[in-house]
Amino acid sequence: MKRGSRDYATWSVAIAVVLIFALIPVLWLISLSLKPPSAVTDQRFIPSEISLDNYKSLFEGGISDSPFIKPLINSIAIALITTVIAITLASFAAYAIARLEFPGKRVILAGALAIAMFPPISTVGPLFDMWRALGLYDTYPGLIIPYLTFSLPLAIYVLVAFFREIPWELEQAAQVDGATPFQAFRKVIVPLAAPGVFTAAILVFIFAWNDFVFAISLTSSDASRTVPAALAFFTGESSFTQPTGSIAAAAVVVTVPIIVFVLFFQRRIVSGLTAGAVKG
Amino acid sequence: MTPGVATKLCVCLGVAALTVLALSSCGGGGKESSTRTLSWFVAIQPGGSIEKVAERCSKESGGKYKVEPEFLPTDASQQREQLVRRLGAEDSSIDIIGMDVIWTGEFANAGWVEEWKGPLKRQVTEKVFPGVIETASFEGKLYAAPFNTNTQLLWYRKDLVPKPPRTWDEMIDEAEKLGRANAGTIQVQASRYEGFMVWANALIESAGTPILSGPEKLDLKQGPTEKALAVMGRLANSPAAPAGLSTSDEDSARLAFEAGESAFMTNYTFAYASAQAEAPKIGKEMGYARFPRVDANRPSKPPLGGFNLAVSSYSENKDIDFEAAACLAGKQSQLTAVELDGLPPSRSDLYANKVVTKAYPGFAGLVKQSIEGAGPRPTTPAYQDVSSALQRTLHPPEKIDPEDTESIYDELKSNLEAAVKREGLL
Amino acid sequence: MEASAAPRPRVSQKTRSERRLAWMLCAPAVLAMLAVTAYPIGYAIVLSVQKIDLRFPDESGFVGLSNYGSVLSSELWWTDIFNTLFVMIISVAIELVLGMAIALVMHRAIFGRGIVRTSVLIPYGIITVVAAFAWQFAFAPDTGFVNHLPLISEEMDWFGGRFSSFAVIILAEIWKTTPFMALLLLAGLVTIDGQLYEAAKVDGASAWQRFTRITLPLMKPAILVALLFRTLDGFRVFDTIFVMTRGAQDTESVSILGYNQLISRLNLGLGSAVSVLIFLCVFLIAFLFVKGFGARLDEGRPGG
Repeated sequence: MKRGSRDYATWSVAIAVVLIFALIPVLWLISLSLKPPSAVTDQRFIPSEISLDNYKSLFEGGISDSPFIKPLINSIAIALITTVIAITLASFAAYAIARLEFPGKRVILAGALAIAMFPPISTVGPLFDMWRALGLYDTYPGLIIPYLTFSLPLAIYVLVAFFREIPWELEQAAQVDGATPFQAFRKVIVPLAAPGVFTAAILVFIFAWNDFVFAISLTSSDASRTVPAALAFFTGESSFTQPTGSIAAAAVVVTVPIIVFVLFFQRRIVSGLTAGAVKG
Repeated sequence: MTPGVATKLCVCLGVAALTVLALSSCGGGGKESSTRTLSWFVAIQPGGSIEKVAERCSKESGGKYKVEPEFLPTDASQQREQLVRRLGAEDSSIDIIGMDVIWTGEFANAGWVEEWKGPLKRQVTEKVFPGVIETASFEGKLYAAPFNTNTQLLWYRKDLVPKPPRTWDEMIDEAEKLGRANAGTIQVQASRYEGFMVWANALIESAGTPILSGPEKLDLKQGPTEKALAVMGRLANSPAAPAGLSTSDEDSARLAFEAGESAFMTNYTFAYASAQAEAPKIGKEMGYARFPRVDANRPSKPPLGGFNLAVSSYSENKDIDFEAAACLAGKQSQLTAVELDGLPPSRSDLYANKVVTKAYPGFAGLVKQSIEGAGPRPTTPAYQDVSSALQRTLHPPEKIDPEDTESIYDELKSNLEAAVKREGLL
Repeated sequence: MEASAAPRPRVSQKTRSERRLAWMLCAPAVLAMLAVTAYPIGYAIVLSVQKIDLRFPDESGFVGLSNYGSVLSSELWWTDIFNTLFVMIISVAIELVLGMAIALVMHRAIFGRGIVRTSVLIPYGIITVVAAFAWQFAFAPDTGFVNHLPLISEEMDWFGGRFSSFAVIILAEIWKTTPFMALLLLAGLVTIDGQLYEAAKVDGASAWQRFTRITLPLMKPAILVALLFRTLDGFRVFDTIFVMTRGAQDTESVSILGYNQLISRLNLGLGSAVSVLIFLCVFLIAFLFVKGFGARLDEGRPGG
């Protein structure tokens, strides 16, 4: 197929439209974060003067005193750990559900869905009680466990939908061709499962990253407080002043790990199906 | 994947996961000492007055106790949410609570805070404004030590308005005369949140009737209430209403005033310091006056806010909590709070103190006068219901017809009656 | 692949060990899900049949279904159901179309794929309350830039009216969660064998025909998962509405209603009843979806 300049032009427009749609509010946030406090209501999209004060205030005080650094570390650690564990557990369960016959399959799927449907606000109170009793309050596991619970349903469903589509017989075919079971698994199944796994990973990570309800109620100090909850403690000049600039700056900084994570993973959401494999 | 491999993988990953969880839950151990740590759950203040006060009182106790501030989120309803979750769970980790004045009835009736009696009671109420003592009391008993209070003044642009208006009607007339293009708008707090209740309550009280006359008794006399509602409706429907009226709060109000968009604003005392720092040109022209009257013949009743310090009923250190709270709420602490965070003291004898007059240059006396004449919000365990019901009925204020306030009065009355009895869904 | 031709004892043994493996594989996930939710959900159901107001501890007691009665007979509940459905249906419908379009761009762009895919996911990764706040700030007449755009009146009070507030809320919701749809749809797209398109082109099929006859049917499971979960989340919309209007102007959602009962009024009985009712509504929606799509997510691929 010829790639004429018309194709490039059309795609450029399409890409530009998508980028504008995705990024305008982000640019607005960046703009808010760069405005000095007195200019925050100047109603301009592009700031008339740029000030890095908001960013400076986030990081001053170092790890112990900054309102932001330790929560950022907490967020990254908790989200990563949650993602690793969730993907592992969900992959096992999804493999079983997609490939094997056993009673209780539908119950697990329905139950997982039911759990994802319950309003979180009702679960926070009893969870608070449970965690205080078990000593998990204000700890990493105290947040990781609920995050697992509420992200597993989506992860399982996504992976089941994927594993369903994988031509498992390819694994047998590869073994017939002389590969060991492990090689067959690694070279044939893993690339086919990759799109699903990495998609699920992104979804779980972002869920854990964004959560506010559990983070604000199940933590009480920097020991495990994550960024969304930490934002609730940001103050402006007085207790009545909204710290618009610092919140915007925090939101911008906090998007950077997301960008890194997604950039890394999105390359791996590629098709695993090749012409050769199907024929084999 | 064969069953054997799968099993091994399962076990390995399970162990790994548990190890990770176990390691990450390792926390620091506590110190053994005879100094007891008292946890003070209080809203974070930007100027650092809380930490300073806690440090000073801990030192003054001579090793008997150490006060650790445990900060609560900046937003008042989130503070309450965090507190009630713990108090409802009978959490023993709370010792002292920084209690917003509107929570007193609720917390006291639920049995979450302890009563103050005897010599310490006399100590913490000495020289305190009677109205402020009321905000810390429920059914005649004192449940907290008054700490900070707060009130609203009328702020106006001296360069545009030679003499401050005395009543709301006058103010609306003046703003209309100036015209929207020339800062002819009035900033208030009318978003659907507690600040709206503050405004509405101040208007109703200024008109001459309280909302409740007892924790479960509706007062809300018709004549004065309709007058207050008419003021609300008139402002909201007049050209003097700023464009974002129905989503305005204390912050958006002061931002608009500092940007020169409005010549009038009712707001708390922080507005002055903020304007001086953020918009000095406007700050220079900032005049102050008492909260405007609703009824020309009655002095206005400005809003009353603030924090009092209560002792949690589930604390394991009740014997020393009262002592510590008395220090934390005492004269020296109040001066620190006004110096670092601009929070008005609850002791009336401090308004001549140079720390206060420095924080409120020229208007310290006006603040004192406003607090003395303030109209507090109703004290009732069902306060949240009452506030929600009022907000639901009167918001957005544009819906109030200043010419016909009877039907909305009836609606308000019946909704508040149900709210006080905690009936129905809100 | 079942060895159906093998002798009986071997089949049932294989089946048994297959089952054991299956349960072992599922056990950790199931445990993780139940451990956290069994008690809270059970507790919520128990609370919903009692009259409990934390502020009045002496007045508790069992009241059967009267909490449910109060909720279902309340006009406010039904208004909120309407609001919630209104926001949800419009958002999800637009997101599906937009998400599909964006997924196609992410999949087929002849350059810049990495940048597009990453940029598209940024909205999804921004902290929800901050995003809602940024939108609110942008549309508020005294702080935002929207009113200075051409064709929009400077005095327009977006949050002063019911449907204009809805417009901003829906816009914010769409912006925030279209990436979720796009991601799931993209992942569905990549599993389609490119050869099918080649074959169809050889047969003379147009782009639209290729889309409707190949792409859409093969993406059915991905579309179903995306729609299902997005709808479940959409019905429980809270942050966006709360930050923008706090439910004012009759834009309140059922989740905000539940929050008000549970936290503001500490009426655990009513609040739990609202939560259980929300759960049942969501369950109903999920049920309709699964039935409507006729999808069986638990089946293996036809042919093994």
